Amino acid sequence: MRMFATIAKLLVKRVLTAIPILLLVSALLFCILRILPVDPAAMSLPPNATVQEIEAMRTEMGLNLPLYQQYGIWLNKLFHGDIGRSIHFRQNVTSLIGSTLPATIELAVIAMMVATVFGLAGGLFLFYVRGTRAEAVMDFVSILLLSLPEFLWSLFLLLIFGVFFEVLPFTGRLSPGFERPLVTGFLLLDSLITGNIPTFLNALQHMILPCLALGIALSPSLMRVLRSSLLDAYQDDYIQQARLRGLSEKRILIRHGLKNAILPTLSLMGVQFGFLFGGTLLVEIIYSYPGMGNLMVDAIRNADLPIIQGAGLTYCVAVLVISIVVDSLYLILNPKLRVR
Amino acid sequence: MAIPSPKNPILSAQNLCVESVGAKENFPVLTDLNFSLKPGKILGLVGESGAGKSMIGRTISQYLPKGFAVTKGTLAFDGEDLVSMLPERRRSLLGRDIAFIPQEPLSGLNPVLTVGQQIKEHLLRIGLGPGENWRERALKEFESVHLPHGAALLEKYPHQLSGGMCQRILIAMAFASRPRLLIADEPTTALDVTIQARIVKLIAEMQKRDGTAVIFITHDLRLASQISDEIMVLYAGRPAERGPAKQLFSSPAHPYTRCLQLANPTITGPRRGLFILPERMPGLRVLKELKGCRFASRCPNAIEACTRAEPPLADIGPNHIAACIRTEKTPDIVPPPLAPGREIASAKVHLNGEKLTKAYTTAWSPFAKRSSFKAVNSVDFSLGEGEFVGIVGESGSGKSSLARLVVGLDTPTDGKITLAGRDVTANGNADRAYRRDYIQMVFQDPQSALNPRRRIGSIVTQANEASGLHNSTRERMDRAAELLKEIGLPPDAAMRFPSQLSGGQKQRVNIARALCTLPKILVADEIVSGLDVSVQAQLLDLLLKLRDEHGFSMLFISHDLSVVRYLCDRVMVMYRGEVVESGRTETVFADPQHAYTRSLLAAVPPDDVNAEWSPVLAEAGYQVE
Repeated sequence: MRMFATIAKLLVKRVLTAIPILLLVSALLFCILRILPVDPAAMSLPPNATVQEIEAMRTEMGLNLPLYQQYGIWLNKLFHGDIGRSIHFRQNVTSLIGSTLPATIELAVIAMMVATVFGLAGGLFLFYVRGTRAEAVMDFVSILLLSLPEFLWSLFLLLIFGVFFEVLPFTGRLSPGFERPLVTGFLLLDSLITGNIPTFLNALQHMILPCLALGIALSPSLMRVLRSSLLDAYQDDYIQQARLRGLSEKRILIRHGLKNAILPTLSLMGVQFGFLFGGTLLVEIIYSYPGMGNLMVDAIRNADLPIIQGAGLTYCVAVLVISIVVDSLYLILNPKLRVR
Repeated sequence: MAIPSPKNPILSAQNLCVESVGAKENFPVLTDLNFSLKPGKILGLVGESGAGKSMIGRTISQYLPKGFAVTKGTLAFDGEDLVSMLPERRRSLLGRDIAFIPQEPLSGLNPVLTVGQQIKEHLLRIGLGPGENWRERALKEFESVHLPHGAALLEKYPHQLSGGMCQRILIAMAFASRPRLLIADEPTTALDVTIQARIVKLIAEMQKRDGTAVIFITHDLRLASQISDEIMVLYAGRPAERGPAKQLFSSPAHPYTRCLQLANPTITGPRRGLFILPERMPGLRVLKELKGCRFASRCPNAIEACTRAEPPLADIGPNHIAACIRTEKTPDIVPPPLAPGREIASAKVHLNGEKLTKAYTTAWSPFAKRSSFKAVNSVDFSLGEGEFVGIVGESGSGKSSLARLVVGLDTPTDGKITLAGRDVTANGNADRAYRRDYIQMVFQDPQSALNPRRRIGSIVTQANEASGLHNSTRERMDRAAELLKEIGLPPDAAMRFPSQLSGGQKQRVNIARALCTLPKILVADEIVSGLDVSVQAQLLDLLLKLRDEHGFSMLFISHDLSVVRYLCDRVMVMYRGEVVESGRTETVFADPQHAYTRSLLAAVPPDDVNAEWSPVLAEAGYQVE
């Protein structure tokens, strides 16, 4: 019970502190993008527009008002769920982000799951073979994995499984000809809800390569952190004491060792997951995956300020949410933090 | 489970040898160990660190440190050899028939599992009676170790409990299976004196209930002689002496036993000097080459014959054996005369504290009311020139908080500190600079107090960096050489790193660093706890010698009353942030006025082995646990 009370307290506290952070980030985003030598009014008009037309457009868009007033107007709209219209796509930014964000979340979540499975398994294996020749080999492998960035993995996997063996698709989220159900925007979830198994399987196939690429790139650091925290935990007396009570090594590892060693690993996973939101960018481009990464690249290339602002805010919210989730998990797993 | 006949030993070792197994050669850690332990008996294992005490416990469980192995002999548990036994069979004995109590109770329990989860795991493994519920059983076990509020305890995590409570839980777990053998490895070293007394009594009570045989490992000969039936004194991996506890303690036959006893300060009777055991126990490499008695290099009675052959364990009396060829000379070893007591006639007061208070308040939070508690509550004290004042009390009594206020690591919430006539309470920059020249602190744990990346020469002259005195490297190295000479370390130690020194040497360096700029006052926080008695005696005499040479005064914080009695002119007893009694050490200890002082003193095992040790005084209001 006490645990839920503490978590509730944490949630309230973190949500309250998130508000000033979001305001600050939004102000920063707004100011920096206004300082850029890009004229949104000129960009919204055809290249042959006259100076008068541009001036009229500027007044219409409110660009002649003082900066703080502009920010006020923008903020007010933001509260009403209106981040503006994309200059380039001529679409509401909310609907653009609404259609790409679920794709990126899906990618990041599954990639994180892949990284967790590889990371935990690899970390446990590294720990299990400590002091043997296999450890040296595994050590070498994990450093090799660590030194390859995710876009190289993307290319390798794409060439091997997509081009050479032709066993997996490697562009987009769905092959042509598949019906696309729309409930929540999360393709895998939607196809399951509507019972559209062929779409689900096809979407899953599309996820394999990008998620593997991201997961493999993230897992070596998880492995190494888990291994070293396990080694630390095994220095502690309670492990020795558990042995002296005659518990089996397997039980000691899972129940006593891992339960303590998972904590540093968990905080690393939180950090990684935060980075993953920005880090899917290259992988999305390589696999032509219609997520936030591709949207951002288009927006930056076209100096599409409303999208950049919207995406920046989305990123900020995502990181805040992730950190709250990780902190709550930490509270659940580490009783020492629970008592005041 | 068959009840073994009382005649057969439950544990017996025959010519047991444990060696560190190297690639080229082996080094002996335990040599030719022979002993047997009958059911219901307590064997005390005593010796300095490195003597091999803990290695015996580890050999029983066969969880030896990496690179160590049993190379000869047998170690039989109820007739079965533990060394050659299948690991599965051994593991089935552990926790059921053979139980262990660890040294550090707080880290002996898993921090992320509740007490209930841990005791449940253990009870389910050892098996419950038919129809028995683990929870009921756990509560029953808690009751037998006198743990109140058992049901609430099951929901707690280890960090929410005190060390004494954790140790009781571990004892309850150890005795839950009614084991036939219990190994307690320094089970009270990490605990306060009063808790130590209770825990030792509890182990004895449980042992009597179940008729368990116990191996009680400790560095404290006095404590061992109180609880054990038989004592084995180990020296460098070999028994020096073995005999019935009381007899061994009252008339030790081996010079090492006698020296250990005399190195420990007394708690009653007239104060006496401490016997200083020189040097250290020989290392593994030296031992291997050694021809004669391994204690000869430190023995005051050694003659030429001692260095020729290893002395056999010879009979001294009934069941009493010692490895010495000159046991008749052992009683001749006497402590050096006590350094003449200093009459603190000079009324010059260096340091004065008036109504010192330090309150800690919980961090601000919009959700909780801030609460505060007084770690130090309205303490008055003074420290005269050349005076050593001891501060005693249990953990949490505010000893260390007071020390932090005195040296300026913390600023008092209330009260006034005067240092040589100047009010330094505000602890501003000028106050700090002023204070720095007067007071230096020696920290408890030399392991963490010395920067591992700096050489000893630069560590001991660290104070010069602030004072700007000897700024050239040359001058600093000269000063380092002087300091090392004073604390009795070789000059080449200046170029070494802390990790290359022994624990005792590190603590000397720690003291030398504080003395570098010749402060008038030292504040020493538990600087001899955790060290062997021989090293402790060396350090205590070093402090007295240095006082004679430099005339500093000292606030000496310790939980060890006999050490304070030996070293300090005056003593202050602290309890929950307040000074409950103070006065001249001998007066306070001989005739304590406050109930808390009495209970502290009663908790110390008496010097006289035949005196009754009744540590748990039922005086109301001083329940500390």
